[in-house]
Formats: sequence, structure tokens, C-alpha cells
Amino acid sequence: MTIDEIKKVLLEIIQDIDDEADLENLNPADALRDQLDLDSMDFLDIVMELRKRYQIQIPEADYPQLATLDSCVNYLIPRLKAA
Amino acid sequence: MRKYPLLIIGGGLSGLAAGIRFARFGQKVLILEKHSKAGGLNSYYYRKGRLLETGLHAITNYAPPEDKHAPLNRLLRQLKIPRRTVKLRQQKTSEILFPGRANLCFSNDFSMLQLQIAKRFPGSVKQFAQMLTEIDAYDAFAPRPKVSARTFVATFLQDRLLLEMIFCPLMFYGGSDEDDMDLSQFIILFRAIFQEGFFRPEGTIKDLLGLLLQQYKNFGGEIEFSSGVKEILTENNRISGIRTDAGEVISCDDLISTAGFPETKRLFSVPEAAAAFSELPEDKTSGRLSFLESIYLFNKSARNHLPEDRTIIFYNLSEKFSYRRPDDAVDLNSGVICFPDNFERNRQGDTIQMRVTHLANYEKWLHAYQDADTSRYPAMKTDWTERSRKVLGKIIGNCSENIVYEDSFTPVTIERFTSRTQGAVYGSSEKIKDGRTYFANLYIAGTDQGYLGIVGALLSGVTMVNQHIFNKM
Repeated sequence: MTIDEIKKVLLEIIQDIDDEADLENLNPADALRDQLDLDSMDFLDIVMELRKRYQIQIPEADYPQLATLDSCVNYLIPRLKAA
Repeated sequence: MRKYPLLIIGGGLSGLAAGIRFARFGQKVLILEKHSKAGGLNSYYYRKGRLLETGLHAITNYAPPEDKHAPLNRLLRQLKIPRRTVKLRQQKTSEILFPGRANLCFSNDFSMLQLQIAKRFPGSVKQFAQMLTEIDAYDAFAPRPKVSARTFVATFLQDRLLLEMIFCPLMFYGGSDEDDMDLSQFIILFRAIFQEGFFRPEGTIKDLLGLLLQQYKNFGGEIEFSSGVKEILTENNRISGIRTDAGEVISCDDLISTAGFPETKRLFSVPEAAAAFSELPEDKTSGRLSFLESIYLFNKSARNHLPEDRTIIFYNLSEKFSYRRPDDAVDLNSGVICFPDNFERNRQGDTIQMRVTHLANYEKWLHAYQDADTSRYPAMKTDWTERSRKVLGKIIGNCSENIVYEDSFTPVTIERFTSRTQGAVYGSSEKIKDGRTYFANLYIAGTDQGYLGIVGALLSGVTMVNQHIFNKM
């Protein structure tokens, strides 16, 4: 998957978790958590959805690497290369 | 032999929520429900063509849609139920009524309670505010040893009457301990009842259960009714599966039991496994608090007598509010009077419903039920219901002649239909806060895990799957 495709998937997953999330004004370099007003339970859903769709395992120790949209993409590039 | 990654004992609110959570991400899961209907402690039944709810007075934890971190809204996101699609009716006003001494009204606007306290207990305003600061800062979900809530509250509120009035609704709507409660439970209930408040969904509990069942099935979850679990099977210190009442063995990777802590222990037929699960004898873990509940339907003329702006009245007549198993079959000195029609946007039906709850003594009701003289139990029910009506007459006015239908259930009824030992609706006084058990793949969810009420039960199921099962996969 390309960077843009990964980004699109992530936004789609976030929208699915919270249909009122304001994705238009999302700054990809800032923490998703602060911008979206979501909590740790919602972030678990992003991880679970990625696992469901692409069978990738994200260990809990790696969760800090998913803090911003950019860092999510960077984390996922090598893991979704074949997807 | 059938095999599931996750098996859930119990199709009540916590079991359904756990099931939805697990099924949502494409995993196979089976819920086994003993009863022919879903709901567990919050179910419904039909009498004379009418649907009557078993447990529901009101749901706690009201939150407006924009408050995204509120337990209710977090929960709905986790279950993937859009908040806007569920229509909620907020309470009007509820009241803590200690006749002849004081009354306090509260609504979903917390400032009403604060103002009422300022008016009736002016000397306690500062202390109450100090207590609130502590409550707001407290992490009630962190596992920690039991602490007395009464001691905590007493360090702030010197006025014993105010202290008892604050405890009264919290105990009636979630207290599993006699005359006290764990501080975490107190804080969960304080927020849920006073700071967030009461609501009802549009329709009945059947509609809410229908929504949850539909969601569960949409995600591919399986549920089997009238399918009790006879036995939990173990192998090398792990749960290998269960045997149903019908004799089928179903194996699983993980098992969540929502049956309750002592009730789950009973499902181990091998004594060593039961002892490993818990060494505590059942009388130490069974809840002692149960209730007599009466449901009344009045004709329209009762509207002239009944309060229209009161949703729930928590009353206490005695000098000292007592929340414990009474010596008598029923304790009429205190109780809860709920008007399920008195929520906002109420449709005016042809009848008005009232539900009345009193503390009751399980043993007394059981002895009557088991008596060779089969007329004793129904006679006792009639007798206590009549006595209850006399007490109610003094509080809300006499409406006996307007009754078109009434039904009551006792601790024995609750035990028979929910499998909760001793009819203890709020479960064991020992809560398993982290949900873990001696067996690494068996978890407790629901009432005995310690989150309270309907929102609490649902959150319990969600949290157990999030914390324990997803992490392992």
C-alpha cells in the first residue's frame, strides 16, 4: 500500500469509530487523541480493525508509535507493504 | 465437538456486550443463556397480554451526545451503536424523602441537588463541596482493597441525616453490602446517579435487548437460549470448555462467566477445581440483599392523586436508615417508588405504572416457598403487598381503588429466573474488579465484576474483552 492509501484507510477506520469525528481539520503531525476527543478504548478499535482487515499484530508496546496520523502511517508502511 | 475462541455464560447485558465486542472484529463467539429470553436481571415477561419489565426502573449514567468521554457514550461507540439513533428520555425530578425530617430533590442537573443541600443543610455546604473535589479526583476503576465509603463520607459530612440521605438512593440502586459499601462502588454510583442521572430508552427493556441482540447477530455472534451450563470443564489448570444441561461438551479458548462469582463456583463439579477457583465458602460470597418488588397499573383517574413530576422517590421512615437483610420478610420502613411514565416525552397511555421496591429477607421467602402448604407463599405475598400499600398510602396518597393490575416478585422469584443465589440482584459483596480468576482463561463479567447498573453491566462485558481477550490474541 502507498502512503496515501494507508492514510485513507486510517481515516476511514477513525470515521467508522466516530462518525462525528472532524477529519477535515486533522493535523497529521499532532496527537490524534487530543484532536479527536477519543480515549484509549477507541484507540484499541483502530488496532483491532487493522488486525481484522490486514491480519497485522500490533503489540501493546508499540501503541505509542500510533500517536499521530503521520506516525501511524510510518509504523504501518513496512507492515502493509504487501497488502 | 464444537469449539469457539470465546464462550460466554449468560445472555444478560454484560454477556451481550462482551459478545458484541468480540464478534465485531470477526471472531466466532457463542453465548449460552439458560432462560428462554435475553436480559438476565433486566428482562421482561408477559401477563394478560402486557409486557412488564423485571428489573428496570431507570438507567443511570445519562450523558448528552456531545460529552464523548461520558461512560454512556464511550459504551455506545464500543458497541458500534450510533448515539443519535438511540432516543433517550431523561427523568423529571427524583426525591430522597425522609418524612418529618427532610427531603432532597435531584435531577439530571446536578446543581439542583447542590441547591437543595444548601437550603436544607446550610451548615454542610462547604463539607459537601470538599467531598465532591475528592470524588472528582478519584479513580474508581483502579483495582484496590476495599475501603469503607461510610467512613469516607463521614470524614466530610458531620450531619448524619444528610449522610444517610446521600447513601439511600445509592444503596437501593447498587449496594451489595449491608449498611456500607466499598468506596469505589460509592463513587461509581454517586457519579452515575447524582452527577449524571436517570433516563429510560424509548420503549421498553425488550427494545434495548432487541437492539443489542440484533447488533450481536449482525456481527455474526451466536446465541442459544434455554441452554444452561451444567459444568465448567478443566484440564491442566485451564478451562477446556463446558458441558451444557443437555449434555453437549463445547470447547473454548477463553470463557467469560456472567453468572456471578458464587454461581460460577457452583459450576465446577471437580472439588479441586472449585477450591482452586475460590476457597471462600458460598455464604461468604453470596449477596445478602434482595427485594420484594410490586408492579402496579392504575387507571387514569389515579392521575389526580399521583405525583406527575416525580420520577423516583427513595423514602425512609425510621430513625436510622437501615440497608440490610431485614429480620422480617420485608422491611417497609424504607423503599423505592418509581413512576416509569414520569420521564420526559411521556406518552399518555390508558394506565399509569408504579413500581415499589423494599428490602426483603430471602430465607423467610424461601421457607414459605418450600412449605408443604402451598398456599403459604402466595398468602405471604398478598399480605406483604397489602401492608406495603398501606405504607405507600401515607407517602403518595391512597390509590388502591384505582389499581387495575398488580404483580409482585420476591427474592425467590428473582433466584428462580436469574439464577442469582438468594435473589441478590447486586451480587456478591466481594467484587472481582479486574475480572481475573485463578484460571488464566476464565473471566468474570457483570454484577460481580463490580460495575453497576445497566450501563455498568454493558461496560463490564466490553472491558473484560478489551483488557483480557484482545490482548492475548
